[in-house]
Formats: sequence, C-alpha cells, structure tokens
Amino acid sequence: MGERTRQVLPSVLSVLLALAVCWLTIALTRDADTATRAYLQMLWGGVGNWPAFLDGGSGTAVLRPLGEAAMKAALLTLTGLSVAVAFKVGLFNIGAQGQMIWGALAAALVGAHVSLPGVLHVPLALVAAAVAGAAWASIAGVLKLKRGVHEVISTIMLNWVAVSLVDNWLVIGPLRAVAEGASSITGTAEILPSAQLPRLLGESSRLNLGFPLALAAALGVWVWLSRTRSGYETRAVGLTPEAARAAGIPTLRRAGGAMALAGALAGLAGAVLVLGTEGRYPGSLGAPYGFDGIAIALIGNNHPLGAALAAAVFGVLRAGGTRMQLLGVHKSFPELIQGFALLFVAGRMVWLALLERRQKRAQAQPPATSQAQVEVPRV
Amino acid sequence: MFEVLHSLLFSTLDAAPALVFAALGAMLSERAGVVSVGVEGMMRTGAFCAAVAALVMPTPLAVLVGMAAGAGIAAVHGFLSIRWRSDQVVSGMALNLVAMAGGTFLLESLYGPNGTPAITQLSRWNLPGLSHVPLLGALSGHAAPTYLALTLPFLFHLLLSRTPLGLRLRAVGDKPHAVATLGLSVPALRWGAVLGGGLMAGLGGAVLSTAVLDRFEQHTPAGLGFMALAAMVFGRWTPLGAFAAALFFAFGNALRIGLASSAPWLLDLVPQGFLLALPYLLTLLVLALQGQRGHAPAALGTPYEQESR
Repeated sequence: MGERTRQVLPSVLSVLLALAVCWLTIALTRDADTATRAYLQMLWGGVGNWPAFLDGGSGTAVLRPLGEAAMKAALLTLTGLSVAVAFKVGLFNIGAQGQMIWGALAAALVGAHVSLPGVLHVPLALVAAAVAGAAWASIAGVLKLKRGVHEVISTIMLNWVAVSLVDNWLVIGPLRAVAEGASSITGTAEILPSAQLPRLLGESSRLNLGFPLALAAALGVWVWLSRTRSGYETRAVGLTPEAARAAGIPTLRRAGGAMALAGALAGLAGAVLVLGTEGRYPGSLGAPYGFDGIAIALIGNNHPLGAALAAAVFGVLRAGGTRMQLLGVHKSFPELIQGFALLFVAGRMVWLALLERRQKRAQAQPPATSQAQVEVPRV
Repeated sequence: MFEVLHSLLFSTLDAAPALVFAALGAMLSERAGVVSVGVEGMMRTGAFCAAVAALVMPTPLAVLVGMAAGAGIAAVHGFLSIRWRSDQVVSGMALNLVAMAGGTFLLESLYGPNGTPAITQLSRWNLPGLSHVPLLGALSGHAAPTYLALTLPFLFHLLLSRTPLGLRLRAVGDKPHAVATLGLSVPALRWGAVLGGGLMAGLGGAVLSTAVLDRFEQHTPAGLGFMALAAMVFGRWTPLGAFAAALFFAFGNALRIGLASSAPWLLDLVPQGFLLALPYLLTLLVLALQGQRGHAPAALGTPYEQESR
C-alpha cells in the first residue's frame, strides 16, 4: 500500500461509513424508503436537480443549489485550513470559532462604517477580518510560547470569551444598529453595497467571490507549505521541534506565525459570511463553522487541498440538508454525518490495521520489514 | 439583605451539581492522563437518555440510565484513545459533534423541536430544623444531587490522596511507565478512570434534565461541559479545587441571572457579556500566571505505548 493511499483511504472510507451509518439511523427511526429518498433530496439540494434540468427545467434548478453548496464550502474550507495550518506546526486550534467571530465583527464594522469604492472596500474589510482573527489567535499563541499554557485549553476559553463579549454585549449593546423606523433590527448596521462580495452568477444563485477566494487560500497554503522555505520550516517544527531547533530553525517564530495565519484564515471565514451572505453581523453568529473546521481539517488529513476537498463534499451535503426537511428529516442531519465521519477518522489506526491485515491475507507472505509509520496529527 | 443572599445561595446550590459532577468526571479522566474535552458530549447524551428514560420509569432510575449513557460515550473515547492510541482531543471533539447533531436529530424526529415531554422531577428534600435558620436555610429544599455534589468532592479527595488506587491513578497520569514497572496495567487503570469520568459527566447531564429542568431541551447543556473543563483547570486538577471553582462559577451565574431580574441598572454599568466571559477570563489569567503547564498531569494527552521510553 503506497504512502498516498494510506493517507487518503481512511478518510474516504470514514465518510462512506458515516453516510451508511446515518442512512441506517433514518431507516430505523422512519423506514428505508424514506432514508433513500432523503439522501436523494440531499444530493439534489447540493449539486442541483440534474434530471429535472436535463428534462428541460430552468437553469436555476441547478445553479441555486450549487451556489448554496459553494457558499458553505467556502466557509468550511477557510475554517478547515485554519485548523490544518495550526496542526502542521503541532498546535491544535480549537479556537477557529472565536477567531471567526472577531473576523466577522471586524468585517461588519469596516463594511458599514468606512466608505470607499468597491475595489478597495472589499479588500480592506477582508484584511481587517484577517487581522482581527490573527490577533485573537495570537493570544493563544503567546500564552503557549511564553507561558507554556496548552493551546487546547486556552482556545476553548477564548472561544467562550469571544461569544460572551461579542454576541452578548457588543452586538446587542454599543454596536447594535440604530433602528430605522418601526422595524427593529438585530445585529450590527448593514454593510454598504460597495463592501458586498460580488455575486458571480447574477441573482439566480448566491455563489459569490467567497468561493474562489477560499480555493485560492487553499492553493496558497499548499504552495506555502510545500514549496517555500518558511513553510518547510513550519512543517519541520510540527514533526520534531527538537530536531528543528537543532537545525537552526526559529521554532518560536514559526509556531507563532502559523498560529497567527490560522487565526487570519478563520477571520476570513467570518468576513466571507458577513460580506457574502449575511450583510451584517447577525444577532448571533449561529452555525458553528469554527468547530466544523476541526472535522474538515482532519477528514482532509490536514492537507490544504484535502481540506478543500472535504469542505466541498460537506458543503454539498449541508446545502442539501435543507431539502431533507421536505421529508421531515431535520436540516442538521448533514452535521451528524460530519460528526460520525470525524469519529471514524479519529480511528485512523483502526482503518490502517484492518487494511494491513487484508493486504497481508491477500499476499500470503511475510509482512514488510519496516513497521509503517502512522501519521498522527499531533505529537 | 438576608433575603437576597438566601435566594442567591439557593439558586447556586440548585445549579451547581451539574457543573460539579462534570468537573469531577473530567478531573478523574485527566488525572489518569486521558484528555477529556468530550465532557460536553457526554453530558448531552446523559441528559437526553435520562429525559427519555424518565418517560417510562421512575426518575431516580432514569438518572442511572443517564449515567450509563455518559459512560457509553466515554467507552467510545476509551476505545479510540486507549486501545487505538488516537489523538485524545480529536476523539473528544468528534464525540461532541456527534452528540450535538445526534441529540438534535433524535429530538426532532422523536419529539419535535420543543424538547421531550415533561417528566416528574427528582423530589426535593426539606431538611427539618434548617428551613428557618437564616442563610443555612438555603441548604434545605434541594433534590438529592445537590447533597451528593456537596459530599462527593471530599470522597474523591480521599480516594485520590489516601488510597492505593488513588496513588495508582495519579501515577498513571504522571509516569505511566513507572506504573507498568510495578506490574500494574496502564490501560486497565486508564479505562477505569475514563469510564468513571463518563459516569460522572452523564450524571451531570442527567441532573440538568431531571432536577434543574423537567425535560431535555434542544441546546442542553449549552456549553456547561466546557465550563466544567474551565473549573477543573481553574481548580488545578484537584477534586476540592474543581469543586470550589464549580461552586464559584455557579454562584457567578446565579448572581448574573439575579441581577438581570432585580437590578437591571447595575447591568448597564457592567454588561452581561463581561460577567458571562468572567469564568473563562479568570481561568486564562490563572493559567497565564502559573505558566509551564501549570499543574496538569505530566503524561496528559500522551498515548501509552509499552515499548516507548
């Protein structure tokens, strides 16, 4: 079994097994027929109802679902990249949610209160969000590097601090939009039209600039990690910090930099949400895309392109989740699939042991001499 | 004045048990070296199963079902992290996601969005003689979990610091190889601690749906599991410390809710968001001051391998 197969196969099998297990849960609580039809609805809701389209239906039947899927995939890609980048340097970023919250708030403020032409406004809002996310992540980075505080604990705490301060104070207090007329608005003031991410397919689909942006980020991170000196050094620090230090790599700077980049990516996710679809910082950020990022990164085996691929798959499933409600299946169902997939990926060693045994039986000869090294995300 | 303090203490003691049990459970697992970020998911599972079980059986029995459910989730965690040496944080977060989405899915498909049907709550006990003493009277009129939560931390303290088993549990979290040298089984000790932690977290969740509320609600436990983690860290991974921190956080919550209804003008000066953030900010501050891993068990999060030294 080649190294690449060993990396990819457990993730693919996990997602398939999760799909099967979740199909069973509907089949058991309802019946098998409903489960199959719900899965079909989920597929059509995610990639578009191609049969209807080819029968002469309108283009929106395909464009709208694809736009929704791309929109969700963009958010999942960015938070997944955030977790993956931190993993590469050996840190577990559970704080993508908090970093995303500050990014979203920064984007909403710049979008609403700065007036600039669109060419400059969108980039400025994106940069502000990235800086806000990076700053919040750097708190955990500094605590880890200067004081030895474990990043898992500190990022969990920082998540709840961010939720408390932003959702329960700033957005309902000082930064709340001034009500215009009789209608009271929740959340911050609406962003100016110049700050909206441009829609790519007109009004028929919500596909916006966020998706290409997320793909570019994934490519960028991949190139950085695999083709540049600082990316190489970052990976070296993640694999064996001692050896990296002995080789003269500035380990503290690489770890701090990776954590800040992780925060910036999560912050960008917040910006894409606010500038692309919400139009303001809503009453509360709602969907925990930051936590989803953990699942996406690990299902993508901490590879930037793997994360983008996992995000695309789950973007499709989650966009389709709303269609499942037609059959009385709750729209959070795809999140259950995602949770199980992560659980099965966590058992990567189980998969590898099973595959190895299978292979051994097939070959019926002594196993390879070297005990295969198993990729574990964190030392 | 006494009136206000009395009602504050009363609501603190009503709300604290869930936090205390979950913090003790997390502590037990982490002292044995297994990270316990899945405590939120264990609580959610315990809360759901207890609420559903209470529909068909007496509530005290249903609490036991909730505990068993928590241990069931913990068993998955143990299987992945002890048997297969998976990353403990990954496995814990995965269980959180599954419990979050699974709880919502089962609730929606079996009962609808407003929670399970109402159940009989655990009965409250009036301590005769105490009811009319000022302040101490707040001790009277709670359900059994409150009194359990006031005694269990001391039993845990005795277990960890005064018994051979406690010494072994602590040792397996600090120097597992030394434990193995004595001929004891590291996996067995860790399994025991993880399952025990699951029982406690499940109990914490069950208390939420059988004593604090009278049903399982959509968002239960709404982050209490993470607050229990904060309490454990704040209490430096000790039973009594975690207990004190959990009581302190529960008091803070009671104070915030009390202020919101009785003195809203105070909340204009100190926004609620600050008070909500306070437990987490304090925990971060304590960690930053302690530095260098603080008092965390030395082998926390490191899978045990017989061959590695």
